[in-house]
Parts: sequence; C-alpha cells; structure tokens
Amino acid sequence: MQNEESLVRRAQQHDQKAFAQLYEEHFDKIYRYVTLRIGNETEAEDMTQQVFLNALQSISSFRWKGVPFSAWLFRIAHNQVVDHLRRKKHTAVPLDESLASKDNNPQSVAEHELDIEQLLLATKQLTEAQREVISLRFTSELSIAQVAKVMDKSQGAVKALQHSAIVALREAILVTDNENKQRI
Amino acid sequence: MKTSKEFDNILDECLERLLVKGETIEQCLQDYPEQAAELKPLLQTALVAKKASAIQPRAEFKARARYQFRSAFQEVASKRSRPFFGWLPRWATVVTIVLVLLLAGGGTVAAAGNSMPDNPLYPVKLTTEQVRLTLTLSQIGKARLCAQLADRRVAEIIYMANKGDAQQVELITQRLDKRLVMLAVLVSAREVSGAPKAALAPPAEEAPPPAPAPSEEAGGNRDVYAQADDRAQLRMTVARYAVNHPAALLAVLEKSPESAKPALRRAIAVLVAGYKRALEALD
Repeated sequence: MQNEESLVRRAQQHDQKAFAQLYEEHFDKIYRYVTLRIGNETEAEDMTQQVFLNALQSISSFRWKGVPFSAWLFRIAHNQVVDHLRRKKHTAVPLDESLASKDNNPQSVAEHELDIEQLLLATKQLTEAQREVISLRFTSELSIAQVAKVMDKSQGAVKALQHSAIVALREAILVTDNENKQRI
Repeated sequence: MKTSKEFDNILDECLERLLVKGETIEQCLQDYPEQAAELKPLLQTALVAKKASAIQPRAEFKARARYQFRSAFQEVASKRSRPFFGWLPRWATVVTIVLVLLLAGGGTVAAAGNSMPDNPLYPVKLTTEQVRLTLTLSQIGKARLCAQLADRRVAEIIYMANKGDAQQVELITQRLDKRLVMLAVLVSAREVSGAPKAALAPPAEEAPPPAPAPSEEAGGNRDVYAQADDRAQLRMTVARYAVNHPAALLAVLEKSPESAKPALRRAIAVLVAGYKRALEALD
C-alpha cells in the first residue's frame, strides 16, 4: 500500500514512469469491469481510454485518505458507465417470473461449459447493482472493502448484494443454457 | 435477518478461500455442513463468474491506447511545466512570444499559414499553431483550435497522399492524433470535475451552495450558458468533421497510389477513433 501511495504521489507530480506503472497495473482490470458492465467490447475500449484520460486530468485532486487508488479509479469508471447507460437509456432486463422462483434444477452450474459471451449474456439479466458487484468482485478481483468504497456502501450491504447477485446469476445462467439447448 | 447476515458472511468467507487462497469447494463445505446445500451452487456459480477475469483487451487496442495516453500525458505535463519560459511570469511569456512573432515578420507567418509539409515555411506554420495554443487561455478555446488544426491536418494528408508520399502521411497522422487526443482531454475536463462523485467531489459540508435558478440571470449564470453554447457549437463542428473527414480520406484512398494506401487507412482509423472519443467526451 505504501508503495502505491508513493507511486500516486509521484504521478501527481507528473512523473511519467509512475503514472505509466499505475496505468499498466489497472488497465486490464478497468477494461474487464467496463466490458462486463456494458456488454460491448468496442464501447468498452473507448470508455476504458476515457477513464484513464479523466484520471490524468484529475489525479491532482486525489487525496490519500485510506481510500486506495484503485477504488478511486473504479469510481471514475463507475460514473462513466452510469453516464453512458443513462445516455443510451439502457435499462436492465428484469428477471421474468420463471427466473424469480427458486431453482430446483438438479443440474450443476459448474458443469456448464459457458463461454465468455454466454456469461456476458447472462449478466445482462442482472440488475445494475448486481452486475456491478459481480464485475468488481470476480472479474476485477477487488476485496469486499474495496468494492464497498467504489459502490459507496457498507461492507455488510455489499455482502448481501453479492449474495443476491450470485443467486440471480446462477438462475440467469441456467435459463441461458436451457434456451441454447432448445435452439439446438 | 441475523441468519441472513450470518449466511452472507459465511458465503463471503468461502469466496475468499476459493478465489484468493485457492481452496476447493469441498474444503469450505466441510466447515459449514449445515449450510452446505445452499452454499454449493453459489460457490459453483462464483467459479463460473470468475471466468470473466479471462477477458483481455485486444493487443492492438492496448498498444493504441498506451500511445494515446502517453501523448495526453505529455500534453498535460508540458502545459504545467512550461520548460522554455518556466522562469518567466505568465504575462512576460505572452509578451515574449508576441515579440518573437512580430520580429519574425507578419508576412512570413501569414504566408506559412497555407503552406504544405513539403514547403520550407511549413515548420513556421507548426510553430505558429503551437503559439496560438499557448496563448489561448480557455479550455474550450483550445479545444476549438484543436478541431481547426485537425481540419488542417486532414487537408495536408490529402495533399501528400495525392503526391504518393506515405512517410509524410504517417507523420501528419501522428500530429493529427495528438490534436484529437488533446481535444478529448480538454472537453472531458469539465466532466471530470463533477463526475466521480464520491472520489473527487468535496464532502457535503464543503460543497458549494446550489446554483441560483436560471431566471435570476446572475453574471455567473450567463457564463455557464455561454460555456454550454460554446460546447454545443464545438460539438456540431466535431460531429460534422467526424463525417466529412473520413469520407474525404476514403475518396482519396480510391485514387491514391498503392504505396500511400496503408498510411491512409491508418489515418482514417485514427480519425474515426479520435472523433468518436471527442464526441463522447462532449456528450
């Protein structure tokens, strides 16, 4: 953490090497986060670039108050995604009645050989908040404490959201898989 | 409620063991036999979700993004460090540049304005542009100038492509890319100050008072409206360029010599990506 703190300080003083290191460390994670949130790789590319340009413009305003740099960066990405979705008037597809019921399907989700596109499709069935917690926790690999900072929620609230998000994702995966089988 | 909270904690502990420490699902379930039936499918789903961590940006995109970020970094750093005139106060810097321009001769500068890259006066044109950027104080003014300079670069690319000079087309494309990156950075600056609400905005007690209603017509409000108007006009210009510039280069591509075609295609890709980014930042 101390190392990251000194890197950020140097980046704030326009040390190109320090900023480049922060950029390389976070670029892929931010890209994955954005991709999973908006489900479109081309748009995710543009948005990831914009996140880092915004960070470059505003890094001098970053204050080290126990909030890790990554949480600050994800917060920028989060706001950009929210703006993007608002512009596109994109609304989460609500779970239909069959999904809302408890799953009694004996099939194990682990047995499903899902590819990433199917997974992206399944996450589109989730609410915005559920998709965000899945994205931060499992694709960008943030801890519960970091996710709580990014989402501006308590750790307890994030744990509860994580629970509901996994349940919804499991149901969405099973439905997506059934639909694929019916098509075949 | 307590039971639910307990289960959330157990689930989170198992996820940490599974995803961070590399333990198996069975190891976790052994420690929580009562919750095993509910835990198992959730942990299996988490493992599936983890697959998304295999999503990787394309290597080509990464390289382009890295280059553009480096250009933007240098732009921001040079703006702040002012290495040549850093020891002078700002007003003195402006006076010095104006004097240099006057001494260089107004006629020369004017003649250089329309020069093309194969003309000896072309470096004067580039220097004059740099000076204009330095002397333009407002962000939106600089952004508008970047759009004008992008327009000039496109005209130069067309001229050099018709001559079959691929090397010059490449060089001008790099300059064009730099201006488009700068344009996006400049217009996104306003958005940055308000967007990352929790991370960048001041805490509630430090927040400025809400803006007065539009009907109050305070001077500050007029500024806000003027800025919004400037942005709207700039957006219209950029939107027009986003259509016209790639179309112009595509038309040249059809009849240009084979040797210039790869460089022209790269220029078109830079234009499309650059304008798209700028328009998104302007929105």
